[in-house]
Amino acid sequence: MAVSCLSRALRSLTLSQPGLISSQVVAQSKGPQMYSLVGQCRGFLTTASLEQNRINWKQRDKYSIKPMGMRKTGGRDHTGKIRVHGIGGGHKQKYRWIDFQRLRYEPDKEGKPFEEKVIEVRYDPCRSADIALVAGGNRKRWLIATENMQAGDTIKTSGVIGRMAVSANEGDAYPLGALPVGTLVNNLEIQPGKGSELIRAAGTSGVLLRKVNGTAIVQLPSKQQVQVLETCMVTVGRVSNIDHNKRIIGKAGRNRWLGIRPSSGLWQRKGGWAGRKIKPLPPMKSYINLPSISAP
Amino acid sequence: MLTNTTRCVFVPAALLKDAGRAAAVGGSCCPQARRRFGVSRCHFIKPPPRPKPRETVDIPDLETITYGERMHHVPGLAKPVFPHWEPDHKNPRFYKAPPAQQMPLFKDTPCFMFNQRTNVLEGVRQAAWLTKTKVMPSFPSQLLSRTENLEEQIPDVDERVQNAIKHARFWDTTENRPKKEKYCNTLLLNLLHLCGMLQPSHSAIGRRMFTEDYSLAVTWKRGEDLFQVRGRNGLLHSSMDPLPAVCGKDEVSDTADHTLETFYPISPTIDLQKANVYKENLNCTGFRGNSPYPHAHTLYFLESADVNCKLRPEQFRAKMAMFTFGNALSRAYQLYGTEPQQLLERPVTVQAVGTNGRIFQFLVFQLNTTDLTGDDGVKNQMWLDEDVELYDFAKVRPLIKKKEVRVPAGLSGYKPEVFRKFLALYLHGAE
Repeated sequence: MAVSCLSRALRSLTLSQPGLISSQVVAQSKGPQMYSLVGQCRGFLTTASLEQNRINWKQRDKYSIKPMGMRKTGGRDHTGKIRVHGIGGGHKQKYRWIDFQRLRYEPDKEGKPFEEKVIEVRYDPCRSADIALVAGGNRKRWLIATENMQAGDTIKTSGVIGRMAVSANEGDAYPLGALPVGTLVNNLEIQPGKGSELIRAAGTSGVLLRKVNGTAIVQLPSKQQVQVLETCMVTVGRVSNIDHNKRIIGKAGRNRWLGIRPSSGLWQRKGGWAGRKIKPLPPMKSYINLPSISAP
Repeated sequence: MLTNTTRCVFVPAALLKDAGRAAAVGGSCCPQARRRFGVSRCHFIKPPPRPKPRETVDIPDLETITYGERMHHVPGLAKPVFPHWEPDHKNPRFYKAPPAQQMPLFKDTPCFMFNQRTNVLEGVRQAAWLTKTKVMPSFPSQLLSRTENLEEQIPDVDERVQNAIKHARFWDTTENRPKKEKYCNTLLLNLLHLCGMLQPSHSAIGRRMFTEDYSLAVTWKRGEDLFQVRGRNGLLHSSMDPLPAVCGKDEVSDTADHTLETFYPISPTIDLQKANVYKENLNCTGFRGNSPYPHAHTLYFLESADVNCKLRPEQFRAKMAMFTFGNALSRAYQLYGTEPQQLLERPVTVQAVGTNGRIFQFLVFQLNTTDLTGDDGVKNQMWLDEDVELYDFAKVRPLIKKKEVRVPAGLSGYKPEVFRKFLALYLHGAE
C-alpha cells in the first residue's frame, strides 16, 4: 500500500515536468537549455504589488500633500555599499513633499503676486523645522514654517522687484532685490527658479548684507557670505522650531529612535583634528556665473 | 525545492557527466538553485540607476542599420524600433484608455465635481458660496410646534428613545461593544421606527418611501464655472407630497440684501474634483420621471458610512448641505425646467439629518432660486443646527480614574429635546 502510494506520488511529479519525458530528449538538449528550465521557475516568491517596487519612492508625477511612505536605505547606495555611516533603524516615518519653489504660480495666473492662507503648522519627522500647510487659489502645499507662523495667517509671495524696498512681514517671500538691507531671511535660492536650498534648518536665519549691481550678498548662519542674483527668492524671518538645539536627547536609545546608530568604538590617537583651530573666514562664495536653469 | 531534488533522481548518470552545470542545478547544495528559491536575502547587487538614453540623431536619406533582422543584440548596430503591436482581439484586462483629449465627452471648460468623498477645506462656508445660500445657525422654530404634546402621541417616549439608544450601543452585538459603523446605522433605524409609530394619527406618513444608495447628478453654473454634484449619499426619505416652504415670501425677498461670505485667498473651487471629461446638462434625481415618490423629504447621512473616507464634522456638514441642495435643485429642474429662474413660485424644501451615533446635525434647505450665476438677487436659505448631542456617554464599562467612578456604565446624559427635533423634521408636511 505504502509503496503504491509513493510510486503514484513520484509519477505525478515526473509527469508534471515536460522537459524530462524521455532521457533521450534531455540528452540532446544542451546545458544552457537545461539551465533555462530552472530559470523559468521563480520559486516561492510572493512579492507585494509591483506598485511598491518602484526603484525610487520619491518618483511622483504630480505634487501631492499626502504623506508618502519612505523606504529606509540604512546609509547604503544603489550598489549596496555603505555610503554614509551611522544610519539605520529608527521609528517609521512618512515623507511630506515640501514645495521649495515658493514662487510657483498657479496655471494661468503667471506673474501676479499671490497670497496664501496657513491652515496648519505641524511637526515634520523628516526635518528639524516645522512645516506649514498653506492653501491659496485652487491648491494646497507644504512649506517650511517661519518662527511666528500660525494657522489662519495670510502670507504673500511676490516676484516683483520694485524701485522701493518693501516692508515685508514675516513669512512673506520676495526676491532679494526687493528687500531692504539687513533683513533676516531664510529659504535662500542659489539660482532663480531652482527652489530654495540654503538656510532651511530649524531656528536659522541669514542676513541680507548688501546689494551690488544686480546681485545680493547674504550671510549664512555659518557666517559665510554668498553672492547670488537679486532675483533669487527668499522668505523673510527665521525658520521655526527655534528651540531645536536645546532639546535633550536624554539617552542613547533616543538617538536610535531617530535612526542614528552609535559611532565606532575604536580608540584613536588624538591628532590635529582635536582641539581648537583658528582659521580665517572663508572667502565669499559666488553663484553668479552659473548657467541659468531655464537655458536648455 | 522538492520538485528540483526529485528531478535529480530521474536524470540519468550519463547526462550528469555530460552537462555538469545542469546536474548541479538540481542539487540542494548548489548556489544557483538557492538563489532562485530563497526569499530571505538579495544575492544580487542592485543595478545602478539607469543612465539616460543617448539622443539619437535622425539624419534624412540615411538608412540606419539595426540588429532587428539578426534577432539579437550586436554592438555597434542601432536598436530596432518596431511598430506598436495591436492585438487582434479585445481583452478587457489589458484595456488601455485613450488620452482624455481623445475621449468623446472631452470638453475644454473644466467642470468642478462634488461627490460623497469630497473633503472641502472651508466646510459650510464654501458650500454656502457654491449653492448661493444664506445660512441661519438655528433650528427653524416653527417646525418644533408639532412636537409639543408628544407624550400623548407616543406613551413613554423618553424611555423608548433611551431603549433605542441602548439597543444600538449595547445589545445589538455578540461582542463586547458594537462598532461605530454598526451602532450608527442601528440607532438611526431605531429612531425612524419610533417616528413611524405615529402613522395612525398622521396618515401622510404612509405616503412615503425609503431609498438607499440612489445616485444623484445635478449640474449648475456659478460665476464662470460649471459645477456638478454627483454620487450617492445614503438613505433618502421621499414622499408623494411636496414639503411646504419653511418661511414666507417676505423673508425670501429679504435674503436679497444678504452678502455671501467669501474666503479670499482660497478659491471656492478648492478640493473639488476638476474634470474635463463629463456630460453636459446632466440632471438626474436618481429616479425615473414617473416615480410615485418624486419629492425628496429628508436625507439621512451617516458619518461612518464610508470607511475609506472619514470627514471631519465641518466637512460632513458641507457634504450634507451640498447633497440636500443637489436633491432640491434636481427637483426644481424637473418642475420648472433647467432655465435659471430668479424666484421660484413654490420654493423646494429638502431636509437632512446627519449623525455619528451620538451627535446629530439637522439641516433644512429651502431652494428659492435656480439663478445661481451672479451673487445678487434672492438667495437660498439653509437652517443648520450643528452638533446636537443626543446623550453624553454610553459606556459598556465605567470610566474609573483615581479609584473614583467618573462616568458610570450604561447610558448617561440623555437629552430629550433632540428626539423632538428629529421627530419635527419627520412630521414636517404630514398634516
